[in-house]
Amino acid sequence: MIPKIEVKNLRKVYDTPERKVHALEDVNLQIEDGEFICLVGLSGCGKTTLLNILAGFVEITAGEVLMDGKKLDFGYDKGVVFQEYALFPWRTAIQNVEYGLQIRKVEPKERKEISMEFLKLVGLDGFEDLYPHSLSGGMRQRVAVARALAYDPQILLMDEPYGALDAQTREELQELTVEVWEKTKKTIIFVTHNLSEAVYLGGRIVVFLPNPGRIREVVPVDFPRPRDDLSSDFIALQRHVNDLIRDK
Amino acid sequence: MADSKSSASIIEESVKPRPKKSFLVKIRPAYPFIVILAIWQLSAMYVGGNLGQLFPTVDKIALRAYELLTDPLTDALKENKVNGIGEALHYLTEGPIIWHVFHTAWRLPLAFFIAAIVGVIVGILMGRFAFWESFFVPLLSVLLPIPALAWTPIAIIWFGLGNQTIIMITAFASFLPIAMAVWTGVKTVNPVWIRAAQSMNADKMTIFKTVVLPGSLPMILSGMRIGLARAWRAGVGAEAFGGVKWGLSAGIFDAQEYLDIAFMMVAIAVLGIFGYLLEKVIFQPLETRTVIRWGMMEEMGGQDKKV
Repeated sequence: MIPKIEVKNLRKVYDTPERKVHALEDVNLQIEDGEFICLVGLSGCGKTTLLNILAGFVEITAGEVLMDGKKLDFGYDKGVVFQEYALFPWRTAIQNVEYGLQIRKVEPKERKEISMEFLKLVGLDGFEDLYPHSLSGGMRQRVAVARALAYDPQILLMDEPYGALDAQTREELQELTVEVWEKTKKTIIFVTHNLSEAVYLGGRIVVFLPNPGRIREVVPVDFPRPRDDLSSDFIALQRHVNDLIRDK
Repeated sequence: MADSKSSASIIEESVKPRPKKSFLVKIRPAYPFIVILAIWQLSAMYVGGNLGQLFPTVDKIALRAYELLTDPLTDALKENKVNGIGEALHYLTEGPIIWHVFHTAWRLPLAFFIAAIVGVIVGILMGRFAFWESFFVPLLSVLLPIPALAWTPIAIIWFGLGNQTIIMITAFASFLPIAMAVWTGVKTVNPVWIRAAQSMNADKMTIFKTVVLPGSLPMILSGMRIGLARAWRAGVGAEAFGGVKWGLSAGIFDAQEYLDIAFMMVAIAVLGIFGYLLEKVIFQPLETRTVIRWGMMEEMGGQDKKV
């Protein structure tokens, strides 16, 4: 099977007047189609930089990225869910979800149908005409997920999407994420600081180390779903990943 | 089953309609004016005597206002020229105060309108293109602090007396803060929104139309308010020296020759009411339907309001 995404010998150096930052050095990674992979590591380890590169926000210094075996055109269709409040406040929930379809010139009627489907998928049926201002943090992130999926992107990139939410809402959204992944079968690349979240969600966990940003190890997570974050196996794995993060 | 209601209907049922504001609460904005009028009346009555003409009492002012509205009608009635309600109304519209209001009413908003359009265009150019930014920012920054009144003598010498000069001065004074505000608004749009649009592969033009413009609306409206205030100030000054016969400010300065204080007070009151109406009838509804509804700006009194 050709991997969905293949990263080869990737290097990213930020050249600032003060100093050079080796954000990523010699990164090699293969991501299979339809897998849920988590990127973890302490601050400055390059996990977000890798995500930004895949999202097309940041340029590569050296190395290459392939999609489906061919050189990646960074203008490909990707869905991004940010940690910060990224919904457009002047658009209702459904209008936000429609955005990607609208700029792809999809007909209004079809747009609305597709957007409602995705709003239903994230559990916001009935809230489509509310402005983000009137929605809770958890609901806003749900809309953000729906918006990122509506135009059927190749992969879904999530950058600590639930970091700003309270623990309860966070758990709900983690469960929702797994549900959405199982239903849509999208390839998901998920950056997080929260190891429990990574072990709960990921099929594989990529551990990064900083200075320079590099991959320490890729840890497979073979627990059946839904996962029990209080089971001894779960906690043991979490501890293992924690050790790896701290380069023990 | 009773609990299979959709979440939407549960929300609808639990929201009670807001209790209507009582009359006394609604007329609260008028209280300060009632107080001022009372103080004015007492002072004017106390001063009385020789200064009575210079410090008219409220009833004298009200009488003058009535005269300014109805003089033509009264004269026509005396000469038996009025046939029916239609003609009576026609005479009413010829009242001097109506003429003054009319001329200010078409000049000032027109000037502001021109300033708004040009200001938004220039501000957008400045925000979007580094070239225009480097050209306009120093220029506008230097011009901004210069009061419109300082330009008036030059403008009159160059362009002559009359409407065109007044409009030009007013529009120019109003345009400067609008352009600067639009520029700022465009530059300080939340970058996350732009990133989000970029991630969905929107091109630059689309991002500009669908993200930058709505995103900078609070700043743009703010700039418009300032621009309107400036238009007002510049307009009053320009009208005074602009050599036109009709216009609230023109009337005020003409009335100086006759020491017609009552007229001045009436005209000033009308100017104030006019400005207030512009705010209430145009700006506030506009804001409510846009930036307030979207949560990008707090409504008036919103910081203390209970939800």
